[in-house]
Amino acid sequence: MSSALDTKGASEAASAPPAKVLEVVNVGKRFGSLVAVDDISLAVARGELRAIIGPNGAGKTTFFNLISGFFPPSAGRIVFDGRDVTTMPAYRRVAIGMARTFQITEIFPELSVFENLQIGVEIAAGYRLRPWISRAEKSAVRGRIDEILNLAGLTGKTDRLVGELAHGDQRVAEIAMALTLRPRLLLLDEPAAGMGDQETYTVTKLIRDLHRGAEMAIVLIEHDMRVVFGLADRITVLDRGRVLAEGSPQHIAGDAAVQQAYLGKTA
Amino acid sequence: MTGTLSTRKLAVLLAIWALLALAPYWMPPLGGYTALGTRVLVLALAAMSVNFLLGFTGVLSFGHAAYFGLGAYGAGFALKFLAPSTPLAIVCGMMLGGLVGAALGWVIAHRRGVYFAMVTIAIGQVFYYIAFQWSSLTGGDDGLRGFSRQPIDFGLFKLDIVSNSETFYYFVLVCFALVLAIMAFILRSPFGRTLIAIRENERRARFLGIPVDRHIWIAFSLSCFFMGFAGALYALVNNFADPRGLHYSQSGDFVMMAVMGGMRNFWGPLLGAAVFVVLQDYLSSVTVNWMSGVGALFVVIVLFFPRGLLGFVRSKSQA
Amino acid sequence: MTQLLLFNVTNGLIIGAFYALMALGLSLILNLSNVINFAHGGFLVIGGYLAYTITPYVGFWGALLIAPVLTAVIGLAVEGVLIRPLYGRDPLYSLLMTFGLAFIIEDGTRFIWGAQGKPVTIPPFLARPLSHELFFITGYRIFMVVTVTIAVALIFALLRYTRLGIRIRAATLDLEMVAAMGVNVRILRSLNFAAGIYLAGLAGALAAGQLGLEPTMGTGLLMPSFIAIIIGGVGSLTGTLIGGLLIGVASGVTAVFAPAASEAVMYVLMAFILLARPRGLLGEEGMMT
Repeated sequence: MSSALDTKGASEAASAPPAKVLEVVNVGKRFGSLVAVDDISLAVARGELRAIIGPNGAGKTTFFNLISGFFPPSAGRIVFDGRDVTTMPAYRRVAIGMARTFQITEIFPELSVFENLQIGVEIAAGYRLRPWISRAEKSAVRGRIDEILNLAGLTGKTDRLVGELAHGDQRVAEIAMALTLRPRLLLLDEPAAGMGDQETYTVTKLIRDLHRGAEMAIVLIEHDMRVVFGLADRITVLDRGRVLAEGSPQHIAGDAAVQQAYLGKTA
Repeated sequence: MTGTLSTRKLAVLLAIWALLALAPYWMPPLGGYTALGTRVLVLALAAMSVNFLLGFTGVLSFGHAAYFGLGAYGAGFALKFLAPSTPLAIVCGMMLGGLVGAALGWVIAHRRGVYFAMVTIAIGQVFYYIAFQWSSLTGGDDGLRGFSRQPIDFGLFKLDIVSNSETFYYFVLVCFALVLAIMAFILRSPFGRTLIAIRENERRARFLGIPVDRHIWIAFSLSCFFMGFAGALYALVNNFADPRGLHYSQSGDFVMMAVMGGMRNFWGPLLGAAVFVVLQDYLSSVTVNWMSGVGALFVVIVLFFPRGLLGFVRSKSQA
Repeated sequence: MTQLLLFNVTNGLIIGAFYALMALGLSLILNLSNVINFAHGGFLVIGGYLAYTITPYVGFWGALLIAPVLTAVIGLAVEGVLIRPLYGRDPLYSLLMTFGLAFIIEDGTRFIWGAQGKPVTIPPFLARPLSHELFFITGYRIFMVVTVTIAVALIFALLRYTRLGIRIRAATLDLEMVAAMGVNVRILRSLNFAAGIYLAGLAGALAAGQLGLEPTMGTGLLMPSFIAIIIGGVGSLTGTLIGGLLIGVASGVTAVFAPAASEAVMYVLMAFILLARPRGLLGEEGMMT
């Protein structure tokens, strides 16, 4: 494969990368008098798969928005791969290795699956401002797109318009788009949302396959506990904008406070 | 580039260019005349430049005629005060429209939607006002006169674009083709694809790593250079530049041409410009209330043919 | 010198009050419905001509009261038939729609009432100046400012204290939420539009007595309204008000020192705001995206 498409981080990683790919220190976010995130601190290790769970309104998506740069925090710091990104704009965080999906699928509905992926691949290769790319570069791009289509299981749907795909396929396509950026941190906001059993199985398997790579850390928000307990290395539980508990899946499953938070909220 | 086009698309392209190349021959029998064709080409170029932003990047610039007008005045000034050279006039017009556009675009590139449109309209009106008031330089309401297009000397032969309307038509056609080639080239490039991404879903574009404001600024600037070029040609068509070319109603006309032809289609604005010009000429010759006719056209298109003529045809063929 | 200054500042305030009235109506419609009403000047003209037409039947005061209401009714019809279908779509279409409407209205008024200006008479007791020194402060001008002040105060009071007003303000901030609470958003938008048009119609009825009446009188007021909104800050009605008055007074003051530049000063102010404080004087951050 052409060297232009190699992992952005590969050359930088040669000099002892920090053990934690993401460190969040006492972040908070308020909207006027509404406190969406009160005080959250956590750290994610390289290649770790972390699940974030919690009742509705706990601040999970707001937390993702803070990490990915959707808006700046009212307090605290965010450190990504050793760099302070607290005030860094979203597009720059993507450029240094952070990618995400959204609770409501954000794709290019009137473009084909191929075209959706093409944009990400070209950006990752640094062709963002290029008025022209060579034949060799073009075929490298195509190769990379095929690779991701294969990984995501979308090979048969290359030329379909993404907006016309089934809901499950759309969410998988969105994950595929995030993958084109060769992220070191992948943020998935409720990847299994709105999916039936078969689709949930497919996306869980995809995430598990991605996790096997070991280089990329994955943080996901999920309500579906089968997904959470089937995938996570560690689980962080949020409640009312704060960390309620954090630990291994077994530990969390047995935690009384966690059960109280969930049961109490659904009552 | 041709490697990615299907045979059908190639055939359509050839048909379009054949139509354009032979216009001085099929127009007169239909009641038209060559100079009308020249005018349509130039206005179509302007409409396509607006559509570069509107249809392909999704940016609502409603005051874009300002850069068209600046192009016209730039060409006029060059011919009047610099040198009797047509190519120089075109370059001057293009640079005036483009550079001013780039500078202004930098200030407003972070805005979106109707607020962006408002500011572009207001900015456009500043130039209209200046052209109107600074009459010692621009001729004010009467417009800039006293210049005319010059024959082009290529050394080996001379192009008489002054008295021969066919020659001028082909000259404009070549210029048209040149700019179109550049536009198409850009839109098919990786950069062009980022613009389409911004149009399709700005949030997703941002979270794929595209600095959206910066790309919008680049697209805006490019489109202003194209507009300046078109405006310069327009000054050459009429040997005249006037403030009305800067007014927001002219902007509205360009946007309507793009919408009427079909915004999502590269050739849409050409079709829209042709129909608009012919319709407007016809209306103003049959009734003094042609303004309401044009207004009614706007209303009908918006309500019933929002995807334009080409969009309408496409949806019918898919049904 | 002071007399000249006073003359021009007063003129400026009166013009400013007009700009503010127009801009306020435009702003109301813009904030709630995301529509730039290019036809706003046209509704001003309709208001003026309607006032002129019904004056022989209801007198000056009757016309002043009724014409704006009639104009608002026309506005209501226009909104229901032509603009409502476009709310869910790209704002481009409503822009083009009001654009086309402006053409139709201008031509229409020309067709109905003729292209020449119409003479408008105002009650004699208003035409008298206040005093000999302050000859430029005629009763009519004071009357205009008073009327504008009352109208603006009423609109602000309506927005602040009535249920309708509160709903409009809430919907401007979060339309989905308001709809989810069961408020009929369609009716809200219609009434809001009508309120904006009412202000335009009122401006027209007032302007007729001051500027005379002709089909193109509306277009000259559209741009200053735009600029008032940009200067004052999108989303803020108070800002729009201040913006309009500021433009008027600034042009009045400039007229004393550099008469030719008095019209240009509003563009200069706008340029200053765009560079130094893009969100406008009272605009909120993030309102522009």
